[in-house]
This record gives sequence, C-alpha cells and structure tokens, in this order.
Amino acid sequence: MQLKYKIMVDPLIIRQDFPIFRHHPNLAYLDNAATMQKPETVIQGVANFYRKENANIHRGVYQLAIEATEKYERVRHRAASLIGAPSTKNIVYTSGTTAGINLVVQSFLEKRLSKDDEVLITAMEHHANLIPWQMVCKKTGAQLVVIPMNERGELDMDAFKERLSGRTKMVAAVHISNTLGSINPVEDIVDLAHKRGVPVLIDGAQSVAHYPIDVKEMDCDFFVFSGHKVFGPTGVGILYGKEEHLSSMAPVFFGGDMIREVSFEDTIFAEHPQKFEAGTTNIAGIIGLGYAMMFLQQYNKKQIVKYLDELGGYARQELKSVKSLKIVGKAKRKSPIISFHFKNIHPHDVATFLGAENIAIRAGHHCTQPLMDIFDIPGTSRASFTFYNTFEEVDRMVKVLKEMKKFLS
Amino acid sequence: MNDKLKQLYKDVILKHNNDPFHYDKKENATHVLEAYNPLCGDKFKVFIEVENDAIQSIHFHGYGCAISKASTSVMVQALENQSIEDAKELCKNFLFALHHESEGHPSREDFEAFAAAREFPGRLKCASLSWDEMSRFLEG
Ligand SMILES: Cc1ncc(COP(=O)(O)O)c(C=O)c1O
Repeated sequence: MQLKYKIMVDPLIIRQDFPIFRHHPNLAYLDNAATMQKPETVIQGVANFYRKENANIHRGVYQLAIEATEKYERVRHRAASLIGAPSTKNIVYTSGTTAGINLVVQSFLEKRLSKDDEVLITAMEHHANLIPWQMVCKKTGAQLVVIPMNERGELDMDAFKERLSGRTKMVAAVHISNTLGSINPVEDIVDLAHKRGVPVLIDGAQSVAHYPIDVKEMDCDFFVFSGHKVFGPTGVGILYGKEEHLSSMAPVFFGGDMIREVSFEDTIFAEHPQKFEAGTTNIAGIIGLGYAMMFLQQYNKKQIVKYLDELGGYARQELKSVKSLKIVGKAKRKSPIISFHFKNIHPHDVATFLGAENIAIRAGHHCTQPLMDIFDIPGTSRASFTFYNTFEEVDRMVKVLKEMKKFLS
Repeated sequence: MNDKLKQLYKDVILKHNNDPFHYDKKENATHVLEAYNPLCGDKFKVFIEVENDAIQSIHFHGYGCAISKASTSVMVQALENQSIEDAKELCKNFLFALHHESEGHPSREDFEAFAAAREFPGRLKCASLSWDEMSRFLEG
C-alpha cells in the first residue's frame, strides 16, 4: 500500500516516531551510517508478528501460516517498488549487504572467472565489497584492480575507462562511500562497463535510505542493501539481480525451502528467488523491513535529500570553525556522512569526549582500511546524519569539539 | 566539560601523551613486542633489551589514542631497570588497578590515573593494550 500523501520532512516530528529518543531524550545519534534507529512501526511490526502472527512460511496449510507467508512475500513487492525493480522475482532476501555480495561472488562470478581475468572495484569500498572479490581472485588467479580517486574523494573516471578491458569480468562499486560520503556516478560506471559487456554490482548500503533509487534506470546487474541501514531490523537485506542472471545462477546454500523435487539421487531447485533462500530465514526481520520501507515511502526522497544537503552543508561549515580539524572527503556530490580528523588527537579520544556528552559518532577505520592508508591516516571520526537529526545536534557536536581542542592543547 | 572525563585525561595522561617516555625505535633490541588492537588500529612496538633476567632498557614507538599511548609510556617508564620478576608484579599491579576498585590495594599514582577509564568501559582496552602484551611476554 503506497500512501498517497507524502509527509513533510520535519525532524522534530519524525523523532517522535522513534522510541529510542524517548528513552534517551538527550541523545544526539550521529552514527546513522553504522546503523539507524528504528521507528515504532518497525518495532511493533516485529513484536506483533511474534505475538500474534508467528508461523513458518511456505509450509503450513493452516490460516496462520498462510497469512505469515503472504505478509512475508508482500515485502518483496515493497522492496521492488522502493528500488524500481521490474518484479518480485528480482528480489532475493538475504541477511544483509555482506551476504548479498558474497552470494553474487560465489554463485555468479566464480564460475566465470579464470586466471588473468580482472575484477574492478573502487578505492573506497567497504571491506564487505572488497574482501569477497579479493578472495575469489586469489582462488582463481584473477587480478583485483582498484579504481583510484583524487584527494577530494572522487573516483578517477578516466582511470576507470583505462582499466576496463577485455580481461575485466566484473565491476563492483559502492554507491555512497560510508567513510567519505562521496556519491559515485554509478550510472556512468554501469554505462561504461556495459559498453564492454561487463556486469556491475552496486553496493547501495548507504544510499537507499535517502536517495531515490531506480535499478532499471541505473541498469546495474546487481544492487545490494541492508535492512538495518534503512530503519529496519538487523540481519536482513535485499539483493536485486537482473532476471537473466538470477535464473542462470546456481544456489550456494542448500536445504529446505529452496527445492522443487528431491530424491536421494538428485534435487531440482526451486526458481529464483526461492532457490537462494534455503532454510528458515529471518521472517520477522523481513516483515520488520517491510514496515521500515513503508516508513521510508511516506516521505518524498527529494525533500529528504534537500534537508540532508542543508544539514550536511551546515555541519561541514561549522566543523571548519574548529581549530586544526580537517575534513576527509570533499567530493562535489556528497551525502551527509562527514569524516574528520585532528593532527594530534586520536579519533577514539574525540569519540570519548563526544560520548561523554551523549553525542554518538563513530571513530576508527570504518571497515575501509585501505582507504585510510591512501589518506595516510589511521582512522577518522565520522558523524553521519539522517532526517531525524537536527541543526541543534550539529551545534552540540561542534561545541564539544571546541572544548575538547582547548582542553587537550 | 564532564568531570569524569577531566579525571580520565588529567595530567598523567596528557603529560605522557604529549611527551612520551623513551619514544624511539630500537629495532635491534633483544625483544620486540607488538601491541595491536585490530578493532581500532592502535599499534605500538615495544623494544626491550633483556639481560641477566632484567629489563636493561625499554623503548616504544607507534600510533594510538591518548590513553593507549600514555599507558604505554607509563609502562615503559615503570619497567625500565626492573627484574623480570618485579616487572611481572608491576604488570599485575597495573592491570589490577585498572579493573578493580583500588581500596586496600597498593598502587602508584601514575597507575591510578588510568583507573578512571573504568568509567568508560569502551576505553579500558586502550589502557591495557600494551600491558596485556607485556604480561603475555613476561609470563612466557
Ligand atoms: C557501504 C557499505 N557496504 C557494506 C556494508 C556492510 O553492511 P552489512 O554489515 O549490513 O552487511 C556497509 C555497512 O557498514 C556499508 O556502509
């Protein structure tokens, strides 16, 4: 059910939907890139499923099981509509971004990859979109090739063009860097790769919650994201794949719920997406994800982006007024994920000073160690915003940073 | 600013962080320990010259937060010229002070400063990082 009326983006009203802020009224939660807080509807949706609707899916013929199955399958429609997928057959339930990428690596790429082939990734990948490709390259003797970026944190598209070749068998790129906030030109990446017949996976972990996504228009072959980064539960996620790929891919997990016929001699698998969903999945989690996407679809993404551009812009501007603070990642197109560092103050000390004032940010390498090596820093402090965050929270953060700077120097 | 925080970072930690003791690379030392926390990337090398069952000289180098750096610096200062047995005792002492209320337990002022990390459980590992590694080394 798509709500007809889009609601205005007003963080003070939106916050009221999130029980965590009632329990921690003073909490400035600026770690949304790590995981987002959950609205009441998601929490209720999961609890009510266990309380009133619990049954295993695809198995029972009794009413409760039928209703659970229907509810579970309806989430596929919502996921398809959220990202513009042509059909629910394109939507595979996973346990998250990481699982989606690993499935594509093992089921799609591995059998196409041989010695001296190449896999292209970007310099700003999360470990989740790096290690799986690295491992399959090691296994097959293929090469992992990295698309570099400039010092602002923008991909070097000329280098990308040069590195694309007849040897390239796959391109995997992050849509929005969880460390730098850079928004990558995924349409151009897909376009260039497709001109050479190379399939592309886009890691949308940081983009789905805020930006309009249309996988048909983007034309990527695979798109992955996590439930917990779109206001949903942990442990669930979505893999979108083009029909032609999903239908030809073999499952890598085997068990119940993914078969058409089994004998002791052989097994005929179910069609996609079911053949990738062996065993009892996180049913309540998927249903919670449905509520999260419903929450998200109440809002106009254009308004969300407008608000977050203003909030992110304000935060960047205010952070500049803190002495010796350096912002890492200054791409022209960027999301409200802001990494910064001080020459002589370790990110963990920064996070401790902010934490003592109830301001939650992330400190460390953000699962992007090679990226930190490029910038020659061991880590950053990262504030990441969503549309329940306020300008006042930015002010609080900046005030503490200034006090800290004074105290420590 | 938060008082507990001031206590944590008070003079001992700030002093050692800004002016660490024996902060130098001695790659030829008889023993080189590496204290590394993969979760945050803090990494210190501790260079130890052991002779006649005693720590003749000890230096450190590396990168970490103010707390891990200061605690390593305090360790280096405390262990220099100690016999292995006394060094073991000091390590126990420090780690005990870090994890327990210090009542009735003799402890040194420079050790006690880190006890404030108890208020910040996320930072305990920073304070114990190099000491844990040293303990493992000494206890063999
Ligand atoms: C860009 C990006 N990719 C992948 C992941 C991994 O997501 P998950 O841990 O939910 O599988 C994250 C989460 O931190 C991310 O930010």
